Amino acid sequence: MMEGVKKMASRKIDGILNERLIDLDLVARNKREAIEGLVDRLYEVGNVTDREDFIKDVFEREKEGVTGIGNHIAIPHGKSDAVKATSIAVGRVKDGIPWESLDREPVRVVILFAVRNADTTNVHLKLLSEVAMALADDDTLKRLLETDDKKEIIHLLSQEMN
Amino acid sequence: MNIVGISACVAGIAHTYIAKKKLIQAGEQAGHKIHIETQGTIGTEDALTPEEIEAADIVVLAVDIQIKGKERFDGKKIVEIPTEVAIHSPTALVKKLEEIAQKE
Repeated sequence: MMEGVKKMASRKIDGILNERLIDLDLVARNKREAIEGLVDRLYEVGNVTDREDFIKDVFEREKEGVTGIGNHIAIPHGKSDAVKATSIAVGRVKDGIPWESLDREPVRVVILFAVRNADTTNVHLKLLSEVAMALADDDTLKRLLETDDKKEIIHLLSQEMN
Repeated sequence: MNIVGISACVAGIAHTYIAKKKLIQAGEQAGHKIHIETQGTIGTEDALTPEEIEAADIVVLAVDIQIKGKERFDGKKIVEIPTEVAIHSPTALVKKLEEIAQKE
């Protein structure tokens, strides 16, 4: 029974996140390098069509407020014409990088939300909001820092989907 | 007590929903009944009913932007804070809501 529920949840998240969009050995010394590294992933799978445009939009959003939500996690996001498919990329660095954060701690896990400008369906936006809600759980944030299993990362981020 | 509220952030993509979930967790943990409406890019979800607002002892607005329908809370005790307060210190926030709700 539980297995069935888990499988359904992970199928739903497939539309916005898969293992190719997760890098647990992201190499980045600062915020820009981390965001660029994740944008590269999104570009490689074809979800982002213009690297520079999207990076610019993400940094525009960064100016509007703090995206470090504490516990070494950050959720930069950008809504952009350069996004072809609304999706998420996840990166984890070995050593914390400086990032504006609610608890003033450095960041190790970066969850980048790429949102298509004219998302007509809302289905994907709903999935993104469910990923965000999963991040309200401190144990989830802790596991995101610890696990080396990409499947677990996907499962953790999809736990609010039903 | 009964808490109602709204969460809404600038982009309406992520913070709105983290704030909502954090408020619900902290409110329920303290033994309260809590309902949070979200106003995000996707639109309004979990809209508050007039009955819920009527029954509320306190209104919490975790908002970074101008929200829709604020007049629904006319005459109610309102606590307005940025979403980051709800995300970073939800338990302390709920305590504050309790104090303000009890003040006559």
